[in-house]
Amino acid sequence: MKTQTLTPPRGDSATTGPLLSVENLCVELMTASGIVRAVDGVSFEIGRGETVTIIGESGSGKSTTAMGLLKLLPRDLAVVSGDVSITGVDVLADRRAIRKVRGRTVALIPQDPMTALSPVLTVGSQLCEAILVAGRAGSKAEARDRAEELLRKVHIRDPEAQLRKFPHQLSGGMLQRVLIAAALAGEPDLLIADEPTSALDVTVQAGILDLLLEIQEANGTGILMITHDIGVARLVSDRIHVMKNGRFVESGDAVDVVENPRETYTQHLLDSVPRLGAWDESAAPKEG
Amino acid sequence: MLTYIPKRIGQGLLTVFLTVSVVFVLIRMAPGDPAAAYAGPLATTEQLAAVREQFGLDRPVWEQYLIFIQQLFTGQLGMSYSFQAPAFEVVLERLPYTLTLATASIVLAAIVAIPLGVWMANRANTGKELGANMLTIAGQSMPDFWTGIMLLSLFAVVIPVFPASGFATWDGLVLPTITIAILQIALVSRMVRREMSNNLALPYLTVARSRGIAERVLTWRYAMGTAAIPVFTALGTRFAAMLNGVVVVEVVFAWPGVGSLIVRALETRDYPLIQAAVVVTSLLAIAVQLLIDLAYPLLDPRVRLGKAASA
Repeated sequence: MKTQTLTPPRGDSATTGPLLSVENLCVELMTASGIVRAVDGVSFEIGRGETVTIIGESGSGKSTTAMGLLKLLPRDLAVVSGDVSITGVDVLADRRAIRKVRGRTVALIPQDPMTALSPVLTVGSQLCEAILVAGRAGSKAEARDRAEELLRKVHIRDPEAQLRKFPHQLSGGMLQRVLIAAALAGEPDLLIADEPTSALDVTVQAGILDLLLEIQEANGTGILMITHDIGVARLVSDRIHVMKNGRFVESGDAVDVVENPRETYTQHLLDSVPRLGAWDESAAPKEG
Repeated sequence: MLTYIPKRIGQGLLTVFLTVSVVFVLIRMAPGDPAAAYAGPLATTEQLAAVREQFGLDRPVWEQYLIFIQQLFTGQLGMSYSFQAPAFEVVLERLPYTLTLATASIVLAAIVAIPLGVWMANRANTGKELGANMLTIAGQSMPDFWTGIMLLSLFAVVIPVFPASGFATWDGLVLPTITIAILQIALVSRMVRREMSNNLALPYLTVARSRGIAERVLTWRYAMGTAAIPVFTALGTRFAAMLNGVVVVEVVFAWPGVGSLIVRALETRDYPLIQAAVVVTSLLAIAVQLLIDLAYPLLDPRVRLGKAASA
């Protein structure tokens, strides 16, 4: 299939360098109680086909990191500094650069699928719009075909009927699949998944994670996973960064971090999960 | 839907009935004598008595009320004292003028207020927005009779481009429309601003932005998609309110609508005319309100009932 090309030609920097390179990223937020440094100088890289996870408690700055490097924080409330390069495009230096990569080389999978789609537009019109904006279809009819194809790829049955529905007519798990389909609309090299399963039922979570891994395998997509769930982190990650108060307190290979945590904070995160290792891919129920 | 519409119509008719009943009693409690107003200041006691008998005002109020109810159910609303014509017809004759003025005002208000509100929402907390905000507060604070008189003296007297009063030609519509629209623009634009600011901060806006969708599309298709619902309701409700007669503005511009008719009816204590005007305008207002509610599902798929099974 055309959409599963491993390395679309995007110039030298994109094919040879990392998909995402973050250096000394700082995010300062204006709050009622003054300026808060939510992200305090973090650096990491993601290569093709890699999954890097940032794990931490709520308020640790992990989501702010994800939103900051996509420049999705409110401009009047957040100051983002440092160096962020997405497939070789420096997105912090040039204000307009981020628009070239959003939806095309990098895409977001949001935290709560229930609030991530406009309630007054059909699933189909929002998905087709994403396809057209990413320049992956020349006409509306072509976009419609492509949308059906994408829904099939995220294992949604009867895509034609689902496209005509409004978001409130679909379940959370289905919506998250639709949102993943929308994220795939531009055939991105990098997916940023901001707690993609935390708003979903446990039985649905595994199906969504399976799907992300399947996409990664097929397309060589890099994934930045934001989560507070060490079970999720262990299942999907190549590398894990443990975040606390805006800084990485521990970084390393997924197995190392989970098996031999050096920091007490990491140990604390591990202990807070009652059933560590419960994620068994073979036992993961398929969502209907 | 099959029981909803008849139920709403029933409720509406009951509202009209209660409203006009209260008005019926209140105008008879208010000081002033229709007979004296009709017969003139030089009328003798005998003449006044004759007029009272002619209008049925010599009977007790409850008897007058029963007669009125009887008329109401036969579609008659009595003879206007001052016009000596069926009150219902007198009101209907004036209605198109009020409808024209109300429609023109609400259209102008929507055309200006929606883009203005969106513009303010996109520039929240900037100097420009502050300036626009102050203008809307000014617009909200200016009484319409004052705005009307100022516009009149400016554009009908000092620079006579528009007629000062009446509705002989279409340009007579301009000044009263602007007068009414200024207040509506001020109120509606502030509402649009508030709704849009809220919606622009919603998660689905951010997610749509992450797909590379242009800001213009985000504003008009995504944020406005949901903001349109309360804004449409507000515009509709304001339109319905205007149908009760835009009294002050109609008087200032000598506009031959229902509002100025009601003022005249009150001055002459023309009971049947007042009652007819109340019946007609409240019926209309309720009909418009019902249409707004029926249009709701068109704007919001979440309230579309009985359509497409939910998953």
